[in-house]
Order: sequence, then C-alpha cells, then structure tokens
Amino acid sequence: MSAALSRRGFLAAAGLGAAGLALAGCGTGPGSGGDRLRVAFAAGGSRESLDPHVLPLYVDQARAKACFDTLTGWSQDMTPQPRLAESWESDAAGRRWRIRLRPAPFHDGRTLTADDVLYSFRRITDPATTAIAAALFRDLDLTASRAVSPTELELVLNRPNFLFPLAWGAPGTEIVQQNATGFDAPVGTGPFRFTSFTPGGPALYTAFDGHWDGRPATGELEFLPVDDEEARIGALLSGQVAYAHDLTPAGAARLDGDDRVAALSAPASAHQFLVLRVDRPPFDDARLREAVRLGIDRDELVRVALLGRGRVGNDMFGQGLRYYPDEPQVVRDVERARALVTEAGAQGLAVELQTSGADPNFDAATAVVARQLAEVGLRVTARALPSENYFSTIRKQGVFSQNSTGSLPIPDYIGRRMLTSTPTYDFTGYRDPEIDRLYYAATGTADEAARTESFHRVLQRLRAHSGGLVWGVRDWNVGVAAGVSGIAPARPNTFAWANFARARLG
Amino acid sequence: MRRGRSVTVRAVVALAQLAAATVAIFVLTTLLPGGTAEVVLGPDATDEQVRELAARLGTDRPPGVRFAEWAGGAVTGDLGSSLVTGRTVLDEIADRFGSTALLTGLTLLVAVPLAVLAGTVAGRRPGSPADRVSTATVSALQAAPQFALGLLLVALFSLQLGWLPATAGGGALLTPAVLVLPVAVLVASQLGWLSRQVRQGVLQTDRSPHVTHLRRLGLSEPVVLWRHVLPGGVAPSLQQLARITEGTLGGVVVVESLFALPGVGAGVVEAVQSRDLPLVQGYALLAAVVTIMLNLLVDLLTARLTPVREDAR
Repeated sequence: MSAALSRRGFLAAAGLGAAGLALAGCGTGPGSGGDRLRVAFAAGGSRESLDPHVLPLYVDQARAKACFDTLTGWSQDMTPQPRLAESWESDAAGRRWRIRLRPAPFHDGRTLTADDVLYSFRRITDPATTAIAAALFRDLDLTASRAVSPTELELVLNRPNFLFPLAWGAPGTEIVQQNATGFDAPVGTGPFRFTSFTPGGPALYTAFDGHWDGRPATGELEFLPVDDEEARIGALLSGQVAYAHDLTPAGAARLDGDDRVAALSAPASAHQFLVLRVDRPPFDDARLREAVRLGIDRDELVRVALLGRGRVGNDMFGQGLRYYPDEPQVVRDVERARALVTEAGAQGLAVELQTSGADPNFDAATAVVARQLAEVGLRVTARALPSENYFSTIRKQGVFSQNSTGSLPIPDYIGRRMLTSTPTYDFTGYRDPEIDRLYYAATGTADEAARTESFHRVLQRLRAHSGGLVWGVRDWNVGVAAGVSGIAPARPNTFAWANFARARLG
Repeated sequence: MRRGRSVTVRAVVALAQLAAATVAIFVLTTLLPGGTAEVVLGPDATDEQVRELAARLGTDRPPGVRFAEWAGGAVTGDLGSSLVTGRTVLDEIADRFGSTALLTGLTLLVAVPLAVLAGTVAGRRPGSPADRVSTATVSALQAAPQFALGLLLVALFSLQLGWLPATAGGGALLTPAVLVLPVAVLVASQLGWLSRQVRQGVLQTDRSPHVTHLRRLGLSEPVVLWRHVLPGGVAPSLQQLARITEGTLGGVVVVESLFALPGVGAGVVEAVQSRDLPLVQGYALLAAVVTIMLNLLVDLLTARLTPVREDAR
C-alpha cells in the first residue's frame, strides 16, 4: 500500500476517473493463500512495532510468538514448561539459577547462546526499552549473572525466588539476538521467519525449516488487522481468514451452529471486576463495600452480561489456576445488603459506576449492577469514560468502576500488581505490607505446601479487604474455520494461545 | 477587476477559516483527557515511564508553545511528524489517502449517473409511479444506517451467497471485488441526498418560463432536456455533490471499519485516540483544503452550467 498509493497515486485516483488504477498496487487476492494461514486480530494502527519486548496488544504478542521463543512457556494452569530452556535448577536458597539451553538456530543461521539470553534480559530491564515484563526481572542482578558456556547460563537474584522460571515464560520475555536493537526485520528462533510488515497493516511470516521444535505445518502465516469484531467474524465466515481472535460472548454465540466455523472457548480466562476505592468516600465505609458484595447477583451478571459464557466469580483472581484457594462461594443476600446500607446511613445514596468501551462487557454489566443495587438502596448511574486511557483514569479518579484483567499466573498477578511497590495497578487504594510479606514468603520458600498456603492467604486477604470484586470470569473465545486443525482453545498469555506453529489448513 | 477582488476576498476568508479551524481542533484535542505518552504506553506503564515519554515527545510543554511551534512549521509547509511513529505527517496521510480517494472516486462514479437518472426521471414526471418508486427507494436507502446496511450486505453477498469478499483485511486483501460492498453502502447512503436535489432542480427548470418558451419555439424534447433542463437542473446539486465528496474524502469511519479498509477515517480516529496532535492537525488541514478547493470548483462549474447568470451580468 505505502509506495503504490503515495502522492501520485492519490492525485490520479482523486481525479475520479482513475478508479481502477490503484487496484493493481494493492496486495493479493483473497483466498489465494494456498498454504498461507490468515489470521485476523484487532490491531494498534501505525504505532505498532515488532519489538518483542514492547507488546501493548494481543496482536503484538501473537506476532512475537510466531517469530521468537521464550525460555519457558505457560501451560493452561499457568505453570512453566521448558521451551528454549531445556532444563533448569536453582541453588538451595533460590537465588542462583542454572539454565541449560537447547540447541536452537536463529533465522539467520546463528545458534542461540547464553549471551543472547543475557542480552535479552538486560534489554528488558533497561528502563529505556519500556518493556512490559520489566517488573518480573526487578530482582535480577545482571552484573553477577553470567554465561557459564555457550549453552548454559547462571542468573543471580538479589532475593530468593523459587518461581523465577515463571517469569521466563511471560509475554514480552522473548529471546532476541545479542546486540539486536532495531526490529524492522526481526530475527528470532521462532517457528516463523519474518517476511514483511507495515505498521497498522498486514504482517507476513514464512515457515522456518530449521525450527528446533520442527517445521510449522503451514507454509506462511499472515496477520491481518481487522479491528471491528463484526468484520472479523465476516472475514472468518466468508473464508477470507482461518482464525479470528477475541470474540465477545455475543460474537461467539453467532458462530454456534454454523458448520463453516467453530468457536473455541478457553474457560475462566478473563476476570470481570467491580472495583471500589477503599480510601475514598463512599466506599471507604466497609459496610457499603460489603453491601455491594452481597447486593450483586453474580449468576444474573454472568447470564446477562456474559451471555452465560463464563463462570461466577468469587472475588478472587485466578479461578482454575495453580494456588487458587477453595473458598465458599459468595451468594446474594439482599436483606443483609439493605441492612448494611441503612446502617451506614446511605439509603438512596447516588453513586456513579465508571464504565467504558475498553471492555465490551462493561456496559451490559453496568446496567445489570445498577438494577441489582437499586434493590438494596443504592442509586447507581453509569458514567461512561473514554476507552483510550480508561484504566489510568479510574486509577487516578476512580470511586466505583468496572475493570477487567486477563490471565496471568497467580504469583505473577500478585507480584506485578498487588504489592505496595506496584502502584500502577492500584485501582482501589488498598496497600497492604502484609501482602508483600506473604508474597515474598511464598516465592522465597522451596516448600510447595507453605507456598500454597501463603498464596491462599494473599488471595483471601485481597478478597476480604481490597475492594476488588471479581463477579465473573469469562471464557476467551476465538473463531476458527472448519477444517483447520492444530489450534487449541487457550487462555491468553499461555504458550498455546495464538500459537500457529501446529496449525494446518484443511 | 471586481472578479479579481472577489477572489482575493475569498482567499483571505478561506485562510482565516483554515486558521480558525486549526486553532479549534488543537484546543479540542488538547482538552481530551489523557496524553500521547499515556495512551501509547498503555495501562501497564508506570507514571514515571509516562512522564519520561511525554518529556521525550515534548507533550509536557504548555499547549500554547506547542501550537506556536506547529503553526510556525505549518506556514512554511512543514506539517511536522507523527508523535507516535516519527514519520512525517504528509507520509502518514499519503499512505491512507489512496484507499479513501479510490473509494470516493468509485462512489461518485456510480452515484452521480444514478442520481441524475433517478432525479431526472422523477423530476420530469412528479407524482408518477416512477417518481414514487424512485423517491421511496432512495429515501429508504438514505434512512438505513451505514453499519446496518453494510452488515446486511455482507451477510447476504459474502456469507450467504459467497459472491463477494467481506473484508479488505487492512489492505492485505484489497481487490476490486472487495470494494463492491463498501461502494454499494456509500452509494446507497449518498444517493438520496443527490437525487432529491436533482429531482428538485429538474422539476423547477422543467417548468421554468424559459424552458416552456423553448418548447413553444418547437425545439425537440431531447434538445430541451439535454441542453437546457439538465444543466439547469443539475447545477443546484453541485453543492450537495461537494458535501458528499468532502465527507467521503474526509474519511468514512463506519465503512472503513466495517470492511477493514486502511483509509483516512480510520487514520483520524487513530490519531485522535493516541492524541497525536500533529497528525490530527494534518488531517484537519487536509479536510479544510479539500473543502475550500471543492467549493471553488463548484462555484466555477455552477457559473458554467447556468448561462442565466452570464446573461444577467
């Protein structure tokens, strides 16, 4: 597009008569892929880059996964599985990690070495990179860490962390070549070689014959930017693409019963929150927080706002994941909630619930919550905010807001978002040094039972005091064309999610 | 002499309008909550990262200073660079303008003859079955929201019948066939405005004393129609045509989004969302220049098509 339709093309086309002329310059025909797997994602426009350490969007992560590898990969229950790291072990203190790399060639023929790994982690921790995974490596001592041999390295931590291998599988921890700085034509060890890319436009990759885990089943992989969900579904149903990422519950429902496609749903993948500021009126009053907690009907919320494509939440992050505690399900108690509202002297209190288009389920949930809380004596009205900076707005000015979070390992969620040292995610004003203590106790012990106990206590504490209510946990839906195999339903951020290395057309 | 002066006055007014438009758009964009750094870095960024990037981009400076800097460049023809991509504003816009110009050109190519045909048929026999059918049809199409019509057409022609592709895939799948549905949606939604103007113009001209007189003089009907009724009847529609053209060239957000076409509409939305001021201003200038040029063109064409004015002068 770029060169073909520059000024001259535009002037000619604008001359009205020149209708057909620009067509020749624009891409290939639909469905002409042959061995080309076309996948549609919502995209980020011209600000996109292929830097695997700066990945604000799902499409960025998916492209990085095609081109690069990580040391480990997260399974569906969010535990680390070996990838480029063939094996690893720590010392008894959990501070020195010895990693053995598997032989893996880069796309340019060079072989992966320990120096590439060290360079990648150095780049991630450099503030100038603004890497999304930087927080996971904050305790890494890069001056003490070293390459033991070309295929073995030792990472040294400033404090013990027996869960460090989890960090190596996070999105944004892709291993790049030593001294790589520009990523206009990225070189990785991933299953697909970079071929072409226009920011905001399509990205094309070619199968890498030399991939250590075997050649991909499809010859080419093309990412198409299709922001509108309807358009993604249309492209899928008409056979133009083989995969459409991120479908709302309503979108997934549209695919039901259509034999041209299948909706793949990974359960319990994205958490829907109501966040209440514990340090601002009116929800600095614990009775009102409890009234909201007991006043909402989670079953109805899941049924109406998520069209039943999710599970009821129990005010804790991480349903179905490792370290999730078994707690009795909170159930609606209108009488008790109403009594609490009266006790707090808040009968008929008007509260604004902040919402936005940042998550497609916010608005529907807001309407349901408003109706439910009216029954306990709170007058809730929706306040719509711009979606572009919604999350930073509610962090700064929130009182009562809709929020959502994708899938992360529970330790990662706590370590990145819930500590007193991580104010970026302070949506409720709840800062608790005891959470920090429990978190470091959990990551600093080799005793799995003690660790589990500590994480349980963190989640229970957050549930009781933090002001964050998880009312539902929604499925993650993607659409796949009939006849395409090798794509599994997967939670976002896991290794299997948006992984097209085993995908096969027809 | 008078003509020269009026052109000068018009040019001065146009420049003033342009300046006012850029100031207004600048003010409105700066009033939007959130800055470029915040939007670009996303919700995961720390306050410190946001501050650093804002300082690097220069968006932490007072709006007045930034506007002065931009305006200083703009008068010398330098529209600056995108805050997000670092590419020049002209390059960014040129990338997207091709697809939009193509869409606009094709839409006009289809809509104009159709509108003239429908408007003339209806205008020459007001109240006839042909008039009623054509007026009802174009009104219905005009009333249908673009997204609804687009979805309907996709559902029918792409998903059910499988005749036409459903999306341009952000440009990757752009073929002539992909453009059929977007153009159909645009034509359908614009046809009504245009054909009703033509109908009205034809109706009035057809019954005007001078055309009645020409008929009395015994001129053949085709000559009356082609030489006199149509030029006079179409002239008032040119303003409407200009509105449609500038609207389509300025970006058709719904259609572009529905068919994943990489055009100006999507570009404007993206620029506003990322608070990319130089780029937003660039698009605003583009729209203003297109509007002014089209108006000028329309004035010239109107003068050409309505000889009455020439006579009166």
